[in-house]
Amino acid sequence: MENQIDEDVLCVETFLKGADRGFEDLVRRYENRVLNIIYSLIRSDSESRDIAQEVFLKVYHNLESFRRQSRFSTWLYRITVNTVYDFLRKRKNITQDAVFFEPLAASDQGPREVLLAKEKGEIVRLALAKVPFKFRSALVLKDIENLSYLEISEVLHCSLGTVESKIYRARKFLKQELLKLGVNQS
Amino acid sequence: MKECVKIKRLLSRYLDKEAGAGDTALIKAHLEHCSICRQELNELSGIKEFISNKEPKTFPPDYLVCRLREDIAREQGAFDPRLSWLTVVGNLSRRLIPVPVSAVLISLLFLILVSSQPTSGYSIEEHMLSGAQTTTSTALGVILGI
Repeated sequence: MENQIDEDVLCVETFLKGADRGFEDLVRRYENRVLNIIYSLIRSDSESRDIAQEVFLKVYHNLESFRRQSRFSTWLYRITVNTVYDFLRKRKNITQDAVFFEPLAASDQGPREVLLAKEKGEIVRLALAKVPFKFRSALVLKDIENLSYLEISEVLHCSLGTVESKIYRARKFLKQELLKLGVNQS
Repeated sequence: MKECVKIKRLLSRYLDKEAGAGDTALIKAHLEHCSICRQELNELSGIKEFISNKEPKTFPPDYLVCRLREDIAREQGAFDPRLSWLTVVGNLSRRLIPVPVSAVLISLLFLILVSSQPTSGYSIEEHMLSGAQTTTSTALGVILGI
């Protein structure tokens, strides 16, 4: 973890000295994590890519104002969650819901296990989309990105107790939604 | 039952290994004799496992970097404030530079022509004293010393 932070700092410093290579290294390090957070929050493949692009453009334009009082990743995830929130707000889709359903593509055919795993992922995302955004964002940061409660509290600007409550409530919501979809997760 | 309410609130934190030592001991002791809370923990655990094990999404290699490069290049071409004022100055220069350059060239040409002509030695004071009528051509001749 410390190595990762050091490398982030190095990339930021490289960029601030005028080399875009530092920024591109940051993109390569975090692009898939950011994509997975976004996709888990909105469930749209093409829109997720566009939002990820928007997130990194914001990073590019604001990296000079990054004060390093928090980790780069915390700052990046905050931008990510806020950008998704703005996107959903424009679509009036914050607490709800069945955002966009994109069925499995034809190219997704493969061995049965792979297909089942993909379908399972889709079911989770479908159920997650029903969880209100304020709870969903905390749960995604915990279970998708495996952030600590402290990091989540920094990303979402709330107390540890609030994070705990949000994650607990998100799991309860999710359980209800999975049951509605006929999935028995236990 | 009252204890169950408190324990259920802590279960999510316990599951995520975020509970303190005191809370962990309390939860473990409670779970030994409370089947309802054990069931709750199993359900939460199933949810967590279900989410964590789903297939991750990935970008094709360098896909995003290339798209960002294009975006940034487009933005810098059109909107970079550091470039925009230079562009304005550059355009103005291209438009305005021919005017002073032409003026200087015409002046130089004129001076060369004038210096090659013999002077009449007829000064403005002599013209005034002569009482002759001042025409445009005489005035120019006196001023330019032709």
